[in-house]
Amino acid sequence: MTDTTQSASSSEALLIVLRHPPHGSSWLREGIDVALVAAAFGREVELLFQGDGVFALLEGQAAGALDQKGTHPQLKMLEMYDIERLWVSQRDLDRRGLTVDDLMLPVTTLDPDGVAALHAARPLSLIF
Amino acid sequence: MLSYALLVHAAPYSTQGALSALRFAEAAIARGHRVETVFFYHDGVHNASTLMAPPQDEVHLGERWKRLGETAQTALLVCVAAGLRRGIVDGTEATRHDLAQYSVEPPFELTGIGQLVDAVLTHDRLITFPP
Amino acid sequence: MTLHLIIRTPHSSGIFADLLDAFADGDYLLLIEDGCYAALPGAAGLDDAVVAGRIGVLREDAESRGLLARVAPSIEIVDMDGFVALTERFPKSLSWF
Repeated sequence: MTDTTQSASSSEALLIVLRHPPHGSSWLREGIDVALVAAAFGREVELLFQGDGVFALLEGQAAGALDQKGTHPQLKMLEMYDIERLWVSQRDLDRRGLTVDDLMLPVTTLDPDGVAALHAARPLSLIF
Repeated sequence: MLSYALLVHAAPYSTQGALSALRFAEAAIARGHRVETVFFYHDGVHNASTLMAPPQDEVHLGERWKRLGETAQTALLVCVAAGLRRGIVDGTEATRHDLAQYSVEPPFELTGIGQLVDAVLTHDRLITFPP
Repeated sequence: MTLHLIIRTPHSSGIFADLLDAFADGDYLLLIEDGCYAALPGAAGLDDAVVAGRIGVLREDAESRGLLARVAPSIEIVDMDGFVALTERFPKSLSWF
């Protein structure tokens, strides 16, 4: 756990909240698309994985049965777009029997107070 | 007076979201605000279909959006990436992709996700209407 | 005999849990559309001290669902004009789905 949510430099960052798992719907892909476009426009972007969104980060994902690309290749591009702040709700990992060791990218975990503080500290956010 | 952007993810008629967005727009205007942009994303792009033909005793969402665009000068922006995947294309995109038909006409306008990012940054408020 | 298929995660109804995790001091929760059903007294998910006194239900949507006379006394009834007024008061909004 860490408390860097109050960092002044990030107060104008765009927070994209991802709450849906990969493959079952296009929410995750469409949310990440917005994050990548915003970053390409030079905006500082952070991602918060909440609820079933934590499944986006699960190690070992593959393309779907009809070769649907999935979202894990997009997530691997985040660093290239300078999207480096990935927040994950620790409680939502716990609720799903996961730990950070199950995730494909390095993340910062937040307890529920941290999740609320992050939401409160970011005036610009979109939820998918 | 505030400037509003509405983000509509909801398809017409499947869920209440598009109706909620429309009545919010009308209520905001009635309170003296400007609804400058409606951005249609995800299944919300179907709101832009010029081919919708609901029963006459039901609200015609396409016509109501169009009226909003015309009376309140609201930009009706449709995500081109989400639209192309779902058969929501204007004449230009239909030609480019060698499609026999198109389904979007002004005042709806196909545009990129960048316009959504721009709306988030430049409007006073962004309200999302999910499915 | 029936073969039951399920296409959602076991947590997909956890939307109120996620919302409550994100709910900060000074926030407000407006129940609209099918969210209005959470305004029934004793409805699951929201009997949390976190939102007490900071929760409303949209009149039009509660009315169309037959809920208006049943709304829990602790929940404010807000009309469309009040909905817009809330967006004036709160610079940011999040729609949970």
